[in-house]
Amino acid sequence: MKLKQLLWASALISVSFACSDNNDETPLGKYDNGILIMNEGNFGTNDGEVYHLNPNTEELLPNIFEAENLRPFAGLLEDIVLEADRMYLVANTGKVEIVNPADFKSLGAVSAELDQPRSLAVNGSKLFISDYGPYDASYATPDSYVAVVNGLDGGVVTKKIAVSSKPEDLYSYGNFIIVAGSEQDIIEIIDATQEAVTKTIALEASPMQFYAEDGVLWVYAVASDEVIIYTINLSSLTLGNTYTVPVANATNRIAFDGNDEMYILTSSGYPDYNDAVVTIDIEGNTATATELMTGSGFYGIGYDDDLNQIYLANANGFQGNGTITVLSETGTVIRTFDVGRGPSGFWVY
Amino acid sequence: MFLLLFVFSFVASSPIQDTVKLAEVEVYAPALDRFAQGQKVMSWTKQDLNNYQGRSLADILQEQSPVFVRQYGAGMIASPSFRGTSAGHTAVFWNGLPINSPSLGQSDLSILPISAVDQVSLQFGNAGALFGNEAIGGSIHLESGSSFGKGLEVGLMQQVGSFGLLNTHLTGGFSTQNFSSKTRIYRDFSKNNFSYQDLGRIRTPERKEDHAQFDQSGLVQDLSWNLNESNQLKAAFWWNKTTRKVQPVMGSNTQDEQEDQSIRAALDYFHFGKKSILNLKTGYVQDKMLFNESLNQTTQYFISGDWDQTFTEKWTAKTGIRYTLAVGELSTYTKDDSRIELYQSTKFKVSEGIAFSLNLRQLIYSGTFAPFTPNFGMDWSFWNNGSQSLQLKTSVGKGFKVPTLNDRFWNPGGNPDLKPEESLNGEIGLNWSGTGKITWKQGLTYYKMSVDNWIIWLPKGNVWTPENIKKVNNQGIEYQGNLAGDIGTWNWELTTSYTFSKAVTTQGTDENDQSVGKQLPYTPQHQANAKVRVEKAGFSSSLGTYFVGERAVTSDNPRMMRSFQLFNFGIGYDRLAIGKLHFPLSFQVNNILNTDYQVLYLRAMPGRSYQLNLSILL
Repeated sequence: MKLKQLLWASALISVSFACSDNNDETPLGKYDNGILIMNEGNFGTNDGEVYHLNPNTEELLPNIFEAENLRPFAGLLEDIVLEADRMYLVANTGKVEIVNPADFKSLGAVSAELDQPRSLAVNGSKLFISDYGPYDASYATPDSYVAVVNGLDGGVVTKKIAVSSKPEDLYSYGNFIIVAGSEQDIIEIIDATQEAVTKTIALEASPMQFYAEDGVLWVYAVASDEVIIYTINLSSLTLGNTYTVPVANATNRIAFDGNDEMYILTSSGYPDYNDAVVTIDIEGNTATATELMTGSGFYGIGYDDDLNQIYLANANGFQGNGTITVLSETGTVIRTFDVGRGPSGFWVY
Repeated sequence: MFLLLFVFSFVASSPIQDTVKLAEVEVYAPALDRFAQGQKVMSWTKQDLNNYQGRSLADILQEQSPVFVRQYGAGMIASPSFRGTSAGHTAVFWNGLPINSPSLGQSDLSILPISAVDQVSLQFGNAGALFGNEAIGGSIHLESGSSFGKGLEVGLMQQVGSFGLLNTHLTGGFSTQNFSSKTRIYRDFSKNNFSYQDLGRIRTPERKEDHAQFDQSGLVQDLSWNLNESNQLKAAFWWNKTTRKVQPVMGSNTQDEQEDQSIRAALDYFHFGKKSILNLKTGYVQDKMLFNESLNQTTQYFISGDWDQTFTEKWTAKTGIRYTLAVGELSTYTKDDSRIELYQSTKFKVSEGIAFSLNLRQLIYSGTFAPFTPNFGMDWSFWNNGSQSLQLKTSVGKGFKVPTLNDRFWNPGGNPDLKPEESLNGEIGLNWSGTGKITWKQGLTYYKMSVDNWIIWLPKGNVWTPENIKKVNNQGIEYQGNLAGDIGTWNWELTTSYTFSKAVTTQGTDENDQSVGKQLPYTPQHQANAKVRVEKAGFSSSLGTYFVGERAVTSDNPRMMRSFQLFNFGIGYDRLAIGKLHFPLSFQVNNILNTDYQVLYLRAMPGRSYQLNLSILL
């Protein structure tokens, strides 16, 4: 039995070597390939972490931040951003850790002055970090901001640009930072030099996530009974097309397949608590939604466009480690495996 | 050590010339183990408690009992785990009133200061029949009181120590043969600005904790009256207020503040008949918790009566009834819950060496019947040769936990359809004691327990909601030993304990649940402590240590936390006196080896600390 496993392991290793040999255009590090699995971690425990998966060999490396830096990640991992040859790990517990994407060795951090950071964008030599700001007495966040840090390897916050409550995703283009203002259903545009909001665009739904493709910025926005997908013309920073899809209870979790199709998670909440994976297909001027799978405890979604596989994360009630289910494009279960606590998203190379 | 409350213990131990009846009932507190045959019970002596003045119930439980205490930092929330059960499976009583928060179903041991009470006892295992709701893993019993015939007693204690510790306690008492009053006022303050290695920051710098300040004040008033030879009134009042800066978990920048304020009052009337004692009791417990600006308040009103009868030498029985009204005014809901419970205990003493007890209880809450809980136990001293004896203790019983107000009514997520948790427990123990040049007491207990309908909160979409899901099996071995003797003019005493606890999930949340068959989170399998103390002519010194084994952060056990062992040292002299004034002095070093440890994941704990205690007693 053990011998057999060993043989398998060596076979897998040689396969992976063979793969990297074939792909000799860019020298790959240990981690800047395959899929990174974000595990948010549990509230109060700060046990967020990153797992690395080789989707071809199915080899899974756990807790790679701690393994490479000999200290725990110690935060709730909200977002991963790859820019300027650096990987930014945004913890909503108040810090950003910056690592080398190839070996995950720490390069720097933003450790102080942040409250509940959500995402990050790089513009020139500056970091822009969206942050909910502190809670007030009624758990509202009236003092949300985008923090500015001078230096790609972190450092101190030099300015906090006030924005609308609960900013989520950021996108950097030219001299501008585009902010998803989720609570007031607006897009805010920050001039990166002036470090001030210079323009706002009103939407009909709450913007959550940006996705850029072929000079077009897609905005994924949700309302209680529909999903609205906007395009923004990057050269004029104005709204382009609008696609409205009748999908109820959409969450902020979305994955793009790079081919005008996206996968989102929905959750019905009280009293039935049904979760679902819904695909939204955009063809011409129309978008259609199809329910692919239902269940409960869905917490993150990703898409591997090499193997055309959907990655669905289940947090298993945060009682322990979460589970990943790999699905085909038609929703057939290919395999499942365990990852870290509260798996919430994927970074697919 | 050797502090003020001490006066009380001196005199309490000396024989009192009074009518026979009153001597027996001094200040009457029903004995914990009168009907607890077959159950494991332990109490601390006055001396032990004196050593913990200025510290909390969490500290003494962690350092000197088999209970594991989950500590969220220095002076931060601390919750007990008896025999691998959770914090909500421990009933806590103060002068006979259950003081667990009805909304949370547990108590924070860090804000129950030892200096506010005179007696602490622990009972292990299910005791639903004897003690009611939440006595599943065990129960904690705190008593305060005053004694008669002491005249005027006054004391002042001052403690200074590391990390900005500054505690001041003032005690005053006055008593005649038929009236007594004792007042305690205290303030415990610590900046808790200890150094720790911040694992949440790049390059893990050494930092000073700047957000763990602890500030606690309180007032305790005890009163007793002997109305006449057969009637006694006893009243106790306790106000305690704690303001804390909540120590953030490493890697977080939270600046939370928490203020806890409790008012507890108990009024007892005892009527001593020829062969019976009637007790009528009323009580009031109010807890206010302000977390940042969110206020949660609960109030409990109690009224109870019981009648304890000695029929013959062999038969003793107690019957009682208690009504509780719990009113919850929480930040997200307002609800009340009324409870009525009937209980009956019978003891049959076959002979000097063998006694059986049968305890029964039925609780009804808001019209719902909690599980009926019987308990049967036996104590059998089966061998005695004059200097050595062996005793067998065995019991089997049930316990229960009513879903808390938050479990049922929290908005959103509260689940009014929850069933009570139910447990079954059996244990057998052997005690070996001996007297002579060396006296000893050695005890070994094996227990086995299961908890069904265990309530856990699970996220459902954006809302967390509790469900009766888990089933847990616990079993383990508890060893406790005590040896004492003298070498020349020195007295010495060695106390040791070791616990092995296996608490395993047998039924999980769903088919994905990896916790089945694994040890519960934050439940060490191995725990041990030892303490050696020497004493001569008012001088004393002690060295204590405790060990906490590896424990998992989550129920599926992928991340284990390192075991740790800490050492404490104390030295004192209590015979310094000028006229009638006494000046007990003591000095203490905690965590002597400056061990870096965490009880819970990423919750920094302090290194070595020093504490100097000075008292003036009249």
